[in-house]
Amino acid sequence: MKRLALGGASALALFAGMAFADGHAPFVIGEGDFNWDSYQAFADANDLAGQTVDITGPWTGNEKEKVDKVFAFFTEATGATVNYSGSDSFEQDIVISTRSGSAPNLAVFPQPGLAADLASQGFLTPLADGTAEWVAENFAAGQSWVDLGTYTGKDGADALYGIFYRVDLKSLVWYSPDAFDEAGYDIPQSMEELKALTDQIVADGGTPWCIGLGSGAATGWPATDWVEDMMLRTQSPEDYDAWVSNELKFDDPKVIAAIEEFGYFARNDAYVDGGSSAVANTDFRESPAGLFAIPPACYMHRQASFIPAFFPEGTSIGTDADFFYFPAYADKDLGKPVLGAGTLFGITKPSDATTAFIEFLKTPIAHELWMAQGGFLTAHAGVNPATYADDSLRGQGDILRNATTFRFDASDLMPGEIGAGAFWTGMVDYSTGADAAEVAKGIQSRWDAMQ
Amino acid sequence: MSPMMQGIVTVFFGVGGCVAYFWLSNLALDKVFFPPRGPHAGRNINRANVIRPWLFLLPALSALGLYLMYPVVGSFVRSLHNRSGDEFVGFDNYSTMFADPGFQTAFTNNFLWILFVPAASTFFGLLVAQLTDQLKWGNIAKSLIFMPMAISFVGASLIWKFVYANNADVGLINAIRDMFGAGPIDVLQVGFWNNFFLMIILVWIQTGFAMVILSGALRGIPEETVEAAIIDGANPFQVFFKIKVPQIKGTITVVWTTITILVLKVFDIVYTMTGGNFGTDILPSYMMSYMFRDDGRATAVAFVIMLIVLPVMIWNIRQARAEMR
Repeated sequence: MKRLALGGASALALFAGMAFADGHAPFVIGEGDFNWDSYQAFADANDLAGQTVDITGPWTGNEKEKVDKVFAFFTEATGATVNYSGSDSFEQDIVISTRSGSAPNLAVFPQPGLAADLASQGFLTPLADGTAEWVAENFAAGQSWVDLGTYTGKDGADALYGIFYRVDLKSLVWYSPDAFDEAGYDIPQSMEELKALTDQIVADGGTPWCIGLGSGAATGWPATDWVEDMMLRTQSPEDYDAWVSNELKFDDPKVIAAIEEFGYFARNDAYVDGGSSAVANTDFRESPAGLFAIPPACYMHRQASFIPAFFPEGTSIGTDADFFYFPAYADKDLGKPVLGAGTLFGITKPSDATTAFIEFLKTPIAHELWMAQGGFLTAHAGVNPATYADDSLRGQGDILRNATTFRFDASDLMPGEIGAGAFWTGMVDYSTGADAAEVAKGIQSRWDAMQ
Repeated sequence: MSPMMQGIVTVFFGVGGCVAYFWLSNLALDKVFFPPRGPHAGRNINRANVIRPWLFLLPALSALGLYLMYPVVGSFVRSLHNRSGDEFVGFDNYSTMFADPGFQTAFTNNFLWILFVPAASTFFGLLVAQLTDQLKWGNIAKSLIFMPMAISFVGASLIWKFVYANNADVGLINAIRDMFGAGPIDVLQVGFWNNFFLMIILVWIQTGFAMVILSGALRGIPEETVEAAIIDGANPFQVFFKIKVPQIKGTITVVWTTITILVLKVFDIVYTMTGGNFGTDILPSYMMSYMFRDDGRATAVAFVIMLIVLPVMIWNIRQARAEMR
């Protein structure tokens, strides 16, 4: 991990890299750009000495180390112990533990679908009254986050069951600033400009895009992100939601148009490195390498915020590689939609300490402590962006904060059979030359078969 | 309890339990039910001897029933229900499946696999077994050819991913194309033929198996028959095809059918290489795409696979038995 030393966070960031053996927190209370006031207020209001909070989630390894440092401050503030255990098979584990009555206090869900399932079976406890209003007010595009955490319980009533903590951003285009400067290209501010730039690069004898859908058995998933982004840029958010719930059929002309928007880029031999036939089987991890070739094999790569992990060794974000917001159409009046994903906390076994923990997640400091360690974005509007570990994350945080509409990854919300099956393979078929309407019809018929 | 202790306790109870079962059940049979004493001593001894084999077979039979027969019957029943398993739908799953173009593709591909892989593996295995038989360094060659057997299917797929890589610097095929000045192609996307590129991986793995078995069989051929043929003026080809091959026909059949059964179970190669895309689905990978989502459909596919395997299996066991005699 490269750590960039920045302003006030620099000393803290240096500390963050060190292990702390005797439970001492890596950050010093009262120092740096953090909202320590919010921490102090929380600490004064809660005394939970002797209590414990059990949490299970999908974060393991390096991410577990980071989140443990955040939890250490909850312990520091309240005296309650936090036992967090991460698991790679969290999705199965949580279902088993809730059914067998050995549930933890809190579960961290990687996507809303699973939380919604558990809520409908009565395994989740609604968050305290007023939480929904608080999220709507304090999160960027707040109502989107409330809707994503609101499910129908076993009693048939809708309630807020989940609060989001950590967001991934998908509406990003990565590029090499050097290559752009050399060719004299500007960052496109609208989809029209992006398409014009694409044609400009071709006219200059270059290849504009690197697109790779390969991912072993999950081949095709990167294309679903493209289509989702295009849905948000061509249709209203209501249509997007209807598409997720299948009220808007998959073979509706609106959806087919979004698929063809992806095809506009991916199915044009001149637009894609290696030609359109390379799209389906190029591994998504190797795909961005073309940005850094000399001369550039491509100039742009649309991919989520995690992709720098797969950039060639020694690439520094901000100088060798940077990103811009995947722009919206200037003439469509759909604002600045942002596609993303995120993890949410839900209560699987209520207790006083658990309620206090949810309160802790509302404080800016709970978010800032991970922001400063890197690899973390948040939609919480009360945090200080200066605490982000580097400029790249800060820029992504800004995109999130300025989002007029936030929508969750549709394929994560659709039933697994579609979102992690038919949609993937359908997109592979489409990118290898199948007709968009045919592909959409096939996915819809698979959905119909599930009713 | 530590894993070590758990292991020891398990072994102790497992072995002890088996011993106790046989000893106690025989004791009960001989002392309590049919004691070889009293007015019916003779009849009792006969009856006890009729029952005894069943006592010995009971553990194996119950395990077979629990782990084999029950799942088969259970799967069949499950395949007659809807996706969540709470509604009886008769043969609906089967009719939708047979009408599904995806299933038809998988079925056709699987048929190609069954035709090609066992035939090619057995043919190459036999060829290598015969050719290396008289060589000084034959054993080294055999070891090399046998080695892929030790690689998992996923591992083998990853190796061949490099061979097929869509890049003249990495992929062997594209490097050869490059020599002749042709541009790189992604061989895994070439319709119909990509199936054969996947099959080659399994042939590569299975040739070693066929070679080892067949080479043993070739050694078992009586020398007199070969000598007699040579004296009668048969050329090497005639010796091989007319004298040797007919004598190991049984073994060839066993190898052939064993590989056929394996082909009907392998989904890892397709799963790793293409994920079933580009028209390379086969029945097991098609089944995987329904598993844990629509178990009614998945079990229906599983049942079709079983019906295809069954005759091959029976043939295989019969041949193996004939070999024993």
